Amino acid sequence: MSNINGKVYAMNAITPMKPWKTWVLRGFFFLLGHIKPLQKDLVDLSFIEFARWVVIPRSGFPRLGRGQADEELKYDYLLFFSNFNGTWNQYIDAFSAVLSKGLNLVWMWSEKFPGSVPVTLFKEYIARVQFDTDYYYTAYPQATANDVKSAHIVQTSFDRLASRAEQASPQEFAQAYLQFVLQVQCHLGETGEPPLAG
Amino acid sequence: MPNVSGNVYGLTILSPIIDDPQATPSHDLQIRAYLAKLSTREDSPFAHAPGTHLARLVVMDDVIYVGMPACEEHLKSKYLVFESNLDGGPDGNLDGYLDGLAASIPGHLDAIWQHCVGYPGAANRRAFIEYMKSCQITTTFFFAAVNDKTVSETLRALQTQAAVADFIASHQGMDAARLQREFVTFAAQLNSLPVPPAGSMGPYRAIKTGGRNE
Repeated sequence: MSNINGKVYAMNAITPMKPWKTWVLRGFFFLLGHIKPLQKDLVDLSFIEFARWVVIPRSGFPRLGRGQADEELKYDYLLFFSNFNGTWNQYIDAFSAVLSKGLNLVWMWSEKFPGSVPVTLFKEYIARVQFDTDYYYTAYPQATANDVKSAHIVQTSFDRLASRAEQASPQEFAQAYLQFVLQVQCHLGETGEPPLAG
Repeated sequence: MPNVSGNVYGLTILSPIIDDPQATPSHDLQIRAYLAKLSTREDSPFAHAPGTHLARLVVMDDVIYVGMPACEEHLKSKYLVFESNLDGGPDGNLDGYLDGLAASIPGHLDAIWQHCVGYPGAANRRAFIEYMKSCQITTTFFFAAVNDKTVSETLRALQTQAAVADFIASHQGMDAARLQREFVTFAAQLNSLPVPPAGSMGPYRAIKTGGRNE
């Protein structure tokens, strides 16, 4: 079991939903996907690298025949997979504090969802519906989501300066270099081994 | 396309695991035992296959009962969940990614998925791709914080970020002409470096900022 790799935590959760409710949820996700300002809070939670919600209809589990028994389910299921930086408690606390309305709109259709506030009951629910990861890989375990965003800002500024460094006079270069340092100075935080959580 | 955010593809696969009462140990346990020994760093199979940002493999034993008044129900199969965030390009080229997996790490794929119902093997690439797609569940909503960069571009950017921080720290107060010469040399050296290996912790640096994340 390995929910953590470097600076990333893998969360898996599954919750049951009455089938008619999944269409309401699909409608909400459709709006969320097409109206970008609605994603602002999700984007502002800048410790999420990737996240997804997957609705599996009760008849939608893969059926390959060859002796595999057909599922006989009453509920549709909502799967949630998240890749985030920091600890489980920090993540749930931040989710509850910043995204409570959005979370309620996502999970209120699931059975027994207590609401994302107060956070204690919310944590109890998430702990109940979470299941552990057997294998977790990331191409850049040393970096958080913010590190990745910053690294691309540095790369863009660096490429721009490097492309004109040779042609400039020393004074012009010094001025451009100063501008470069001002642009990137907030994006040079160290990556590497994660701090110990405990 | 709900599976796609920018140039990143969110792949979700649920492969039913063979339920054979005669198998000892059971197939799900054999998958778990194999995954437990698999490297998660630069010698991970996913580091050798192209285009994987983050991926996970999970044996899902059952659905979860949340208590009364909900109904209690159970799955008849266990499922191997494969969740991958990959470079798909704007068109979501899933076939290309799956073909890359089959070409790069067929032994690992076979060792894991041989315990799943109907798995045809990675040697027959067309059959492998069709099998994986038959187990795919469409993602309902997919979020990627950075969705316009490939794995290679991100690894290179992280390398540049570390090198630039060190360069700036060691070139403070230098006169303009020398600074320019040294920067041109530094840029040429940096651009000629190979992309760091996927799955590595990056270059070791002596600068420590400290802090705990609890």
